[in-house]
Amino acid sequence: MALFRPRLTDHYGILVPQADLDFAIPFLDEDIPLYADPFLLWRSPSQQDQALHTSLLNAFNHLGYLCASGQDAQAVTTLIAASECDEVGLGSSANRQGKRIGEAKAREILDLFKRIPQYNRAGFRHFEEIQFFVDGISKDRISDFTCSFLKSFLIDFTLQQCEQLRIPTSPADIPRLYNSRKNLFEEARGIQLPLNPRSRNPLIFVPKRWLRFVPWISYDDYFEKYCPQDEISHKPEELTRVAVLNYNRDHYGVIETYVKTKERTFEDCHNDPLFAQIPITSAKRKFSAIKNLPTGKDDGADKQYEDLIGQLLPSLLYPQLDFAQEQARTDSGVTIRDLIFYNTASTPFLKDIFDTYGSRQITMEMKNVAAIERQHVDQLNRYLADELGRFGLFITRHPLNRAEFTRTIDLWSGQRKAIVTITDTDIAQMVELFESKQRNPIDVVIKKYGEFRAKCP
Amino acid sequence: MVNSVRNAPESALKTEEEVRDLEKLVVQLQGLHTEISILAKKTPNDGLNLFKLKLVNSILTKGNSILVGHYKPLESFTNFDESALPTNSDVTMVLALYIEQAERFRSNNMIYHDFKWWYLVKGAASQIEGRPPTMIGTERK
Repeated sequence: MALFRPRLTDHYGILVPQADLDFAIPFLDEDIPLYADPFLLWRSPSQQDQALHTSLLNAFNHLGYLCASGQDAQAVTTLIAASECDEVGLGSSANRQGKRIGEAKAREILDLFKRIPQYNRAGFRHFEEIQFFVDGISKDRISDFTCSFLKSFLIDFTLQQCEQLRIPTSPADIPRLYNSRKNLFEEARGIQLPLNPRSRNPLIFVPKRWLRFVPWISYDDYFEKYCPQDEISHKPEELTRVAVLNYNRDHYGVIETYVKTKERTFEDCHNDPLFAQIPITSAKRKFSAIKNLPTGKDDGADKQYEDLIGQLLPSLLYPQLDFAQEQARTDSGVTIRDLIFYNTASTPFLKDIFDTYGSRQITMEMKNVAAIERQHVDQLNRYLADELGRFGLFITRHPLNRAEFTRTIDLWSGQRKAIVTITDTDIAQMVELFESKQRNPIDVVIKKYGEFRAKCP
Repeated sequence: MVNSVRNAPESALKTEEEVRDLEKLVVQLQGLHTEISILAKKTPNDGLNLFKLKLVNSILTKGNSILVGHYKPLESFTNFDESALPTNSDVTMVLALYIEQAERFRSNNMIYHDFKWWYLVKGAASQIEGRPPTMIGTERK
């Protein structure tokens, strides 16, 4: 059985939690749902990031120089080449493949250097401003432009991280690597990079400090809070994106004011974490909702229970366990929902689970039943296979009755599989620990495992 | 009036150093109990953090070396297992039992003489004065 939502580090057995790494760990089959925001480089206190931002702007503004000197074709080629950066895998693509912009769109962007006098004269200070003038350009494209023009630095960063973590690298060809001396994209061959073990395509890491869900300077933010909507149209149906973009082209001052405001409030601009824990009040509210739920399936109680636990546990167990995904499987015609976590082996307990039970991922089966029955134990037992490891948890309402508890002990005796049960009482204690911060909520799992092992022969 | 140590001769105080250790233990147990009781009243089921737990365990270890024989507070308990996630109320209860036994031990090792209470060392009155015993035998006075 394969890993769920595999990441590069899991594939190579490198057990480090995402929270401890400087880069966003790439998934093998899908994109990381974050975007590189050039404003984070601009606002960074680090000289290196600021210099990279300058270099990024130089690369972009050079396109304006090319247009002004009659080399439009070269500018279009460069811009199209920069419009996608598959190696970094940021965005929302499900298959790590994106599409480049077309020639018409590239010309529309380059036309800004002629159309808007400020850009013609002084170039861009924040190239993400192109969102305000050209339709179809948004956060994913800004992120791709950023990564493409800075790819050379990102390759060095990736190599450094690979050396630190001992991630294997292989020679790979990069079809478009920006040469900032010649100001054009060239093919680079035989560059040492980690490869996606499935597709054999090279991977490039991006520092976490550059990533946000939405760029700081964004069209939606501008439209909602700063755009003079009444000036553009008094009729809501005519207030279209295209109308706003056209207005912006003729009123650069509005954009300039917006960007200045965003620059002034730069201290509020922070990178977004890949995973954010829910607040304590929310955790307590979710637990009280769980307590008030009846067992069984009436009124969708089972679904609600699974949803609430699915929102609660990833936060309670962070950062010791990275949440992978919630998944549904069918066993003997019954739909079972599990929470799957990456085992980072970051604590002695998790290391022990990894070594003893071979758990690269930890599965938690949610059961909103009055009592766990024989078939439930059998279902989880069948599921605890080699790849997933032989350690699993029931997240349920009440402790196991004697017969089923004995069955779990027998499973340990016969097959060295450990099934630990986490009940409402344990969840209550985890929420309490989550609030008080006196111990880690995962210590409750350790306690329950200790109690389970104490009963084993 | 003399509080005899004949009840528990194996656990009598032998040196003045042991008297000082006992006095220190009583104060430490009471201090911990007071502090952790405050936590236990607020959140009885919350886990005690590892720093506090290590402190509690070190004082319980000292208590185990002083309170032996009849004065051992709990037969099947030595100290807290960190992985068992003891709660505030668990720790408060155990500390209360240790305080009771420490006071019983102290009370049974005192002698009243010349209108003052003195510690007994090797069965005879020492020069260390103590506060009046509150628990003679098993009864609280």
